[in-house]
Amino acid sequence: MSPITIRLHIRVLRTLLNSIAVLAFFFCSDAAAAENQQTAVEGPTREKLVQLGERMYREGLLPSGKPITALVQGDIPVEGTTFTCVSCHVRSGIGSYEGGVVTLPTNGEILYRPFKDVRRFVTPGVGMIPYFKLPKIQAPPRPAYTDTTLATVLRTGIDPAGRQLDYVMPRYQLSDPDMNILIFYLKALSAQTSPGVTDTTIRFATVITEEVSPKERQEMLSVLNAIVIARNNAGKSKMDSQLPRWAGFSEDLSRSRRKISLAVWELKGPPGTWRSQLEQYYRKEPVFALLAGITTGEWKPVHEFSEANKIPCLFPITDFPVISSTDWYTQYISKGYYQEGEAVARFLGNMEDLSPEKAIVQLYQDTREGRALADGFRETWKTFDRRQPVDCVIKKGNPVTKEYLLQKALSKEKSAILLLWAGPEAYAALEAVAADANKPDMIYLSSSLLKDGFLAVPETVRAFTYITYPYRLGLEITPGKDLGKGSMGVRKDAPVPVATRNVAQKTGSSQSLLPEIFMMMMTNFYRDYMLDIIGMCGDMKDSPYERLSFGPGQRYASKGCYIVQLTPGANPAVVKKSDWVIH
Amino acid sequence: MKRRQALIILVSIVVLSSQGLAAEKKYQRTAEKYSVPDVSLVNQDGKKIPFKSYLETDKPVMVEFIYATCTTICPVLSAGFANLQRKMGADAVKIRLISISIDPENDTPQVMKDYLKKYTASPGWDFLSGKREDIDSVMRSFDAYVANKMYHLPLTLIRSPADGSWVRIKGLMGAADLQDELAQITK
Repeated sequence: MSPITIRLHIRVLRTLLNSIAVLAFFFCSDAAAAENQQTAVEGPTREKLVQLGERMYREGLLPSGKPITALVQGDIPVEGTTFTCVSCHVRSGIGSYEGGVVTLPTNGEILYRPFKDVRRFVTPGVGMIPYFKLPKIQAPPRPAYTDTTLATVLRTGIDPAGRQLDYVMPRYQLSDPDMNILIFYLKALSAQTSPGVTDTTIRFATVITEEVSPKERQEMLSVLNAIVIARNNAGKSKMDSQLPRWAGFSEDLSRSRRKISLAVWELKGPPGTWRSQLEQYYRKEPVFALLAGITTGEWKPVHEFSEANKIPCLFPITDFPVISSTDWYTQYISKGYYQEGEAVARFLGNMEDLSPEKAIVQLYQDTREGRALADGFRETWKTFDRRQPVDCVIKKGNPVTKEYLLQKALSKEKSAILLLWAGPEAYAALEAVAADANKPDMIYLSSSLLKDGFLAVPETVRAFTYITYPYRLGLEITPGKDLGKGSMGVRKDAPVPVATRNVAQKTGSSQSLLPEIFMMMMTNFYRDYMLDIIGMCGDMKDSPYERLSFGPGQRYASKGCYIVQLTPGANPAVVKKSDWVIH
Repeated sequence: MKRRQALIILVSIVVLSSQGLAAEKKYQRTAEKYSVPDVSLVNQDGKKIPFKSYLETDKPVMVEFIYATCTTICPVLSAGFANLQRKMGADAVKIRLISISIDPENDTPQVMKDYLKKYTASPGWDFLSGKREDIDSVMRSFDAYVANKMYHLPLTLIRSPADGSWVRIKGLMGAADLQDELAQITK
């Protein structure tokens, strides 16, 4: 960074300073005292208390099932369901930053420990602060919390030092028994380092299923190994040496340094046996998280293993992720084929001149790809007030013939819209459809299914055929020289769009978040925090996708898919007919 | 490297800001003139909204920039809107509340509809999303552009129906503050 840039940034900082609010939610008391000071909760078991406390923390619901009530900004009444603890303090309790507001940790480890300097607990990336050689910030030492003062700050916003917390922090109206349950939960929250971390190493694994080709296996592993080597060979950076002696920053940074190791967990046999193989690998050597991973089949068995064991799985290479709005532990690059079906539904659903009664025939082979595309369309189409599609399913391996298309699929519906989830083998049938009096108004195809045949859609149907395209258009992506260190080279002169992206490209872009994650995690080796951090990452624009975006609770980084058409001719151009994200 | 630098700036901002730990209840208020782009956005019902003309109404308009999975300041901003509607009762339709997504990748009509439902929004409060470039141009027109949504600041922009002028409020307001500001604009 040039001196000019630094000066500019400092100027920006100064300009912004006066407008920034800080949420200072200090939970702390002496650890030893906490041991002796058991919160007076009687009756339910520990597991039940944690469960009840977790519901208060994450869902804002009291043990009675009613919403917690609170006041925010001094006089705005809110319900806990819209203002949960987890919103700001995040799932791990380590805290967050957002919109200029810093939320400090509430986890068990920090909660009952006094601290003298707030900066030590600012999340994330304290190691970067000295870059600007900031002056020491005067923040008075915070007395240790007790259960009593913790209850007081939750109810009134006044901490043991008598300071009023920012009004962004809700003042919760809780009875003594409910308060005790919440405090019990906070003590248990991120109280221990997650498995897979030793004093010297953080262990990771990647999952590969046996049917994956040697080429794709190698592509993924070469990227991951490059990341491991880069991380383990990294010495102290220039920035590290600029660290001042602030309140334990240097010590924290030093203590956070770990080598990383990567095990390869190979899964063999039918998917029904994968779960037990994974459990066996895990028992033998627990890992902190799973990085990437690859299968040509469904990721579901690995997904369920991650959920059950609370192990993060970061961006596996799969076209068949689990579609869920609530599961937490697997971060996917996209929804795969499902997302293409979803895009077609949104595209058609937004056509204002399309009659709600327009017939839609969805023809697909009974394959994973066909079912995923059809599910994506069907589920999304339900959100529009329109006539439901007619599904025509062809047995796996049976071709899409013109006879089937004309005499069965399209015979009952005139001027229908045909969603044809098949590969280039269906082109002959499409040619016949084009010449038929009962041809559909529109045809939709998937470029991921067409693969290399994507640009060879018969000319006779191109004028009324639309194709899903789930990648960035107009750019060919090639791995950069520093592959594995977090960036991808982008060549802008590639004229021919391709329908697929290779495993190295997908792995390289999605795993490029890792250095940032390590940096932000510091000594907070909690699995939930790793996922919390991803939720705080900025959008990524240099990837095979138009954009990868992240956010709290978001689980699919690529959220878009173009709908395109081909121009006439032997070397057709690809014309966008939709935005990347279709609203 | 740009991401790393951006993070450095962010962390520096928040650390510097910790000088104001015992935060006071205050915000900055300025009078502004804005020229907004003539773009089409989409609301929670999937309906296209011509943004510029939508603002040009004889009702007071309040605009805030939020996103549905925001953890910290957006819930406060939205709780303010929800509370204002609740307090105004049947008169809530006399003002136009607009939340604009700064995360259009994720904020689809269905997501926005669910969000408004969570805050028990009543008619008169719209959540708008749209093309990334259109959202960016709207943010820029209000001097509210941020490259990374995590950087966004708590802003409330209030348009006077009398002359189309705006009041820009930087900071989070309480219920009484919000009502006071609305009363001033409708004097």
